Formats: sequence, structure tokens, C-alpha cells
Amino acid sequence: MPLALRDLQAAFAAHLLGADRADLTAEVFGDTIPASARLRVYRHHVFESLGAALAATFPTVQALVGADFFRGLARAFVGQSPPDQPVLAEYGAGFPAFIAGHDAARELPYLADVGRLDWALNLAFHAPAGGRLAATDLAALSADRLPSLRLALAPGTALISSPYPLDRIWAASQPDAPAGTVDLDGGAHLLVLRRPDDAAFVALSAGEVAFVTGLADGLSLEEAACRADSGFNLSVAFARLLGLGALAASQ
Amino acid sequence: MTTTRIAIASALAAALVLPAAAQAQGNMEKCYGVAKAGKNDCQTATSSCAGTSKTDAQNDAWISVPKGVCDKLVGGKTTAG
Repeated sequence: MPLALRDLQAAFAAHLLGADRADLTAEVFGDTIPASARLRVYRHHVFESLGAALAATFPTVQALVGADFFRGLARAFVGQSPPDQPVLAEYGAGFPAFIAGHDAARELPYLADVGRLDWALNLAFHAPAGGRLAATDLAALSADRLPSLRLALAPGTALISSPYPLDRIWAASQPDAPAGTVDLDGGAHLLVLRRPDDAAFVALSAGEVAFVTGLADGLSLEEAACRADSGFNLSVAFARLLGLGALAASQ
Repeated sequence: MTTTRIAIASALAAALVLPAAAQAQGNMEKCYGVAKAGKNDCQTATSSCAGTSKTDAQNDAWISVPKGVCDKLVGGKTTAG
């Protein structure tokens, strides 16, 4: 007896991410090409398309491990965590955590953090570009009101910290990177940003990290500044964040 | 206002009048999004729809040794945790 439409759809969905199903192949014509082969075209397409989307979103991870290894990693992830929404650019939020827990990546302990950087750059790239706070926006305020201001980070802005030098790893992974080795010692604090035409990141000092984290936590400028160490230069750091467009325009 | 608060207010006000050129500097790494454009298209470059010879390469025999640029990275911790 033919499957009801609802069961047919469920069987097809299960087939895409699972094994061949006899009840499904029985529903498909197999005159010139066997039904199972016809159906495998769709499964192949799902894994290839989602794998290609992940490769576009995580280019640094792919550069580090190579296309073959990445394809296997992506395939394992897709089978375990298929998309739950239709936008491919928004697929892969769980990929860095998946990498961290995957045996194959154990020899590359920095790989998950590189994935987090790739994901943050992807989010920044797709974040709205407008709505940045500029120094001129605050010029009309009297100075005594500045310390109590609460400023949010602009859309797409994210802080990525790692015990590994993600900035040097990223640079070494670019297509035009010079030959030669990269020292893995030393960590990095990176601020990922939406720029007018692209996404970018800058390295932050420890004091700047404390300040930015405070702002992201909803503290006032004064409270956030008090979190930084004694060598922190508030003027330079605040000017830098404004110049970078890292802060959201006030409502 | 306390002395600390005055100092903070002064530091913040000073930031607003720093020359723009001095504000945003510092080794920005730019990540161009050319490869990200059109990601939601059907994959045509790899022709995953074309032919059955490439269908469903489902197996676990994928290359399990990284062959990218990770061999350029040396030193540091080699295990997690």
C-alpha cells in the first residue's frame, strides 16, 4: 500500500540524513536508474550543499585542516545537527562546539577557537552596518554625564578570547600568507567588528577586554572603566572603540 | 563628584576630541566577504546535482589526517585542557 503523503515526507527526510529505506525505494520509479540510486542523489546534494555552506562560513578552519578533512568533519556535523532554519549563512552555530568534542580534532586544540572566530566574523559580516555611535554624537553632552552612560556594543561586534594566538593563526591561514612557521605560544583577545564593506577584527589589550566586557554586561562607562587594570588608558580605549564603530548608536 | 569620577569624566571627554586618525588605528585584520556572497544558491560550481557517479559518498573513509596549513603552527600546547 502506498505511503500517505505525510509518511512519505517523513521517510524522505529520514532518508536524507540516514540510511536507505525499503519503504521509500518501493515508492520510487526505478526503470533506468535504480530507485535507491535516484534517492541517493538527494542525500548527496544535502551533504554537499551544507558542507559547502560550512566551508564558506568557516574558511579558516578549512584552510587549517585541508578540504578532505574538512569535508569529513562537516559531514559528521551535518548528520548530527541538520539546519533548523532555511538560511545557509546562519547554519553552523554549533560547529565550533562540535569540533571541540570531535576526536579527529584533538591534535589541533586551537581548532574550535578558530571556528569561534570564523563564526563571529560570519555573524559580523551579516549584521546591519548602520547605527554606530560616533564621537560627535556625544559632543553635546556635558562631561559630567559621560561616566554614567550605558553603551551597547554595535550589531556584529563580539569579543573572542583564546589561549591560542588566533590572530597569528588566522593570518597564517590566508591564501597569500607567507611560508614559514607560526609560534603557537600566547593567547589573544580579539574584537570582531562589522565594517562598512566587510568584517574585521583587532587585538585588544587586557584592560580593553575588561572595559568592553563591562560594557557588554550593561555596566556604565565608569563602572566598566573601574574593571580595567591600573595601566588602562581610558581616553585612548574609548576613542579607539568609537573610531572602530564598535559601539551602538544610542536610542 | 568624587575625584575619581571627575578624572573618568575628563578622560571620556578627552576621547571625544582626539583626532579621528588617532582613534581607530591598530593592526586591523580585514576579512573580505566575497566568498560569502550568494551562499544560499543551489551549488552549481561543484555540480552536486550532476550525474550519479558522485552520489552519496557516504562512508567513514574520509581522510582523518589534516592536510591543511596547520603544519605551519609549532610550539604551544599540543593537547586540549
